[in-house]
Amino acid sequence: MVLLTTALMPLSVLASYRSITVRERGFYSLMLTLLTGLVGVFLALDLFVFYIFFEVMLIPMYFIIGIWGGTNRLYAAIKFFIYTMAGSLLMLVAIVVMVWKVQSVTGYLSFSYDFLLQNAGVLGRTAPWLFAAFALAFAIKVPIFPFHTWLPDAHVEAPTAGSVLLAGVMLKIGTYGFLRFAVPFFPQVALSPPVTRLMVALAVIGIIYGALVALVQPDIKKLVAYSSVSHLGFVMLGIWGGTTQSVQGALMLMISHGLSTGALFLLIGMLYERRHTRMIADYGGIAKVVPVFSLILTVVALSSIGLPGLNGFIGEFLVLLGSFTAFPLATIIATTGVIFAAAYLLWALQRLIFNRLDDAENQHLTDLTARELAVMLPLLVGIVWMGLYPAPVLRRIAPATERYLEATKARTQLPESARLGVAPASPGVEP
Amino acid sequence: MQLDLGTPLGVTAALLPEILLSIAALLVLLVVSWRHQTAADSRLAGWLSLLGVLASGIGLGAMWIMGVEPDGLAQMVALDPFRYAAAAVALIAAAGTILISIAYMERERLLAPEYYPLILLATAGMMFLAGAEDLIVLFLGLEVMSVAVYVLAGYNRANPFSAEAALKYFLIGAFASGFLLYGIALVYGATGTTNLSLIGAQLSGKLPPLMASLGLGLLLIGFGFKVAAVPFHMWAPDVYDGSPTPVTGFMATGVKAAAFAALVRVLLEAFPSAVPVWQPVIAAMAIASMVLGNLVALAQRSLKRMLAYSSIAHAGYLLVAVWPGSRVGAGAVLLYLLAYGLTTLASFGFVAVLGRGGERDLTADDLAGLGATRPLLALGLGVCMLSLLGFPGTFGFIGKWYIISATVAEGQFILPVVLVVTSVVSAGYYLPVIMAMYMKPAPPVSPYDGLRLSPASAGAIAVSVALILLLGVWPGGLLDLAGQSAATLTQTGPPLAGP
Repeated sequence: MVLLTTALMPLSVLASYRSITVRERGFYSLMLTLLTGLVGVFLALDLFVFYIFFEVMLIPMYFIIGIWGGTNRLYAAIKFFIYTMAGSLLMLVAIVVMVWKVQSVTGYLSFSYDFLLQNAGVLGRTAPWLFAAFALAFAIKVPIFPFHTWLPDAHVEAPTAGSVLLAGVMLKIGTYGFLRFAVPFFPQVALSPPVTRLMVALAVIGIIYGALVALVQPDIKKLVAYSSVSHLGFVMLGIWGGTTQSVQGALMLMISHGLSTGALFLLIGMLYERRHTRMIADYGGIAKVVPVFSLILTVVALSSIGLPGLNGFIGEFLVLLGSFTAFPLATIIATTGVIFAAAYLLWALQRLIFNRLDDAENQHLTDLTARELAVMLPLLVGIVWMGLYPAPVLRRIAPATERYLEATKARTQLPESARLGVAPASPGVEP
Repeated sequence: MQLDLGTPLGVTAALLPEILLSIAALLVLLVVSWRHQTAADSRLAGWLSLLGVLASGIGLGAMWIMGVEPDGLAQMVALDPFRYAAAAVALIAAAGTILISIAYMERERLLAPEYYPLILLATAGMMFLAGAEDLIVLFLGLEVMSVAVYVLAGYNRANPFSAEAALKYFLIGAFASGFLLYGIALVYGATGTTNLSLIGAQLSGKLPPLMASLGLGLLLIGFGFKVAAVPFHMWAPDVYDGSPTPVTGFMATGVKAAAFAALVRVLLEAFPSAVPVWQPVIAAMAIASMVLGNLVALAQRSLKRMLAYSSIAHAGYLLVAVWPGSRVGAGAVLLYLLAYGLTTLASFGFVAVLGRGGERDLTADDLAGLGATRPLLALGLGVCMLSLLGFPGTFGFIGKWYIISATVAEGQFILPVVLVVTSVVSAGYYLPVIMAMYMKPAPPVSPYDGLRLSPASAGAIAVSVALILLLGVWPGGLLDLAGQSAATLTQTGPPLAGP
């Protein structure tokens, strides 16, 4: 994930070269702050530090949306901020409670991830509440179905670079949080039948609902935003599928969704810079005018649909394959989501770049510049490479998957890297 | 170093900071009785008062560093780091208020330099209040402080709202003093003493008799009025709104800090055995303050009034820290008082600077585009808002974190959850200020184009903002200090019989 973050960041910066015309200094320094927060979240092995970074990345994103966003940016920015903060503050209380509980049993006050993980068994009766707090924070971030309403607003109003990072990386923090924190800490709650059923149901609702809403969007950016809701539903399904394939698929899908949705937002941003409209109806037939752009858009859209041979397919296939053994019915319903994905993206593609070229304004669009090609090419290479030869990536995520499953199944068994009795490294109450 | 509080000399030495401050107040009063006409005279009085605060601070620091302890039982005044820490917060509030006032008084044409001695006297009252080891001294300190602040609230005689504020504050304050005094009388009747530690010893090991419980209840009501906790908050918005802005800042920081320090001391030293009696009351007041303060602040347009309601909400957060009745909780109170005090002082400083003669009407919309026209001002105010919100990286977060830890350590989860949920609500009124400054276009002619900050207020605000950021990132030393200060709180009394 760190690699994905650091790979997407220079591309977004390169992409905003032209679109950000006011207060450039502020924008780029905020982007770097955001990068700090994002990398920090993925690297943190201390819950206090994790929380700090979790919040730190809020501020730059808030400003990026609020200052350089679209017309309705103030509303989107504050909605984004309050949603995320509501979740994360409850998570903060949960962290404190957890640390205190562990301390009262073991005598050590520590925010260390490994230490807490190996002592998570002492939480007992409070575990469901703590899980609920963690799950809420991450569910808002993902976002899972009932908490998704901030996402379309934030995505649509954010500048291109903001959307890319939101979709590419920030949403993954939610699923990453489930995989890293919420489930391993409280496996007996998270994997209990009622919770599993609820999460799978929400995931499937997210898949279908996101796809259906995407189908009717007149605004291409909103369409991609809702498609993210749908795709993240697959990731959640994979996590709760609980088999090696499904978890691996979820991880794979997180990466490939970052690549293809990031690429989609970049392309939309490029189109918007030329025509200053995101309405699908304003375009049509532009494949004749901007062939290179259209080709890339088609490839990226197909990868997002999950066409075999491109990256999206691997993750979705693994998720569906892995979850089918556990939840056949849910998986069957989820599979229709792939069909819907094909429907909304292909239909949008048809209206955007094919059809008849009837709007005079579209006849003078310029094709991609060298800079824009330089932005897209690495992403395209990644998309095709991961689709044709995913083994290197799969090999790298396999140990992580194994360890995750082991930790959750064995409940109290230690992960290999567990360190015993780590001294508290963060400020807190004295023992 | 040990001081015998039984001898006059010992008591005099124990009151060194307060005495220095009172002498400074009298000296400044003497000076202004000859020179009270021009702006220059007013400035002179201001700077002289600052010197007085500094002298008192040096005295306080000397006592703190020498570790002065009472020889035997502490009578009348406490000699422990908790007192010093609380007094330091009061002195910081006074210094900040004076620095902000110097330019403000000139701009508002309030050229009556008696203002500064009043601030010094109020501060001396606060220090008595925070250091009182005896209910009588506590009452004395409260009255010295309150009477001076009543006058300060009505200082802008030309403004009817200021007069309204003073009258309201006076009536309600007198009412609260009555409750407090009656409570003291009942506690005395039940225990036969007014010394806090002796009351604690009398009541230890059993539930307090009805008379003492009634007295405790009346004391809580009196303190509730002073800290503006719901349901005793009615006066606060109007008084905060009508008073001159630096005075509002002073009330929101100094008065609140002193009253909270006294409340913590009374509860922990005199009523540790009465935990079942006062904990539910404190919890109810805390929840009501947090919910009501934050929700009503959402509906405010005027920045000053919004800050007034937010200060009610912060009283709620502080009550959450009082609730555990533990040393960690007392440390959290101290830490949060400093965090909240610095931030509030700076925020009211900004309102005073930006107000341009009508800060009652200053709304978030008036700040539109400030981020582009006056980037430093906007940055500072933005940091203050984030700190009030409790955002990581600012001092406000450390304070809230400590409160949550203290409460959770007593196995209480409802209060911290209410605290964070209402904090999220508070984002709804702190963020629009930031949004207005950075995300709205500046009007063609900004009213702040020609604004020049006086070096004094700019310096006070800049130091506060710098401290908010510095202590937000690197709170280690201060955390230890707060913990140590609070740890000594109950040494003179019987051991804490809490849960």
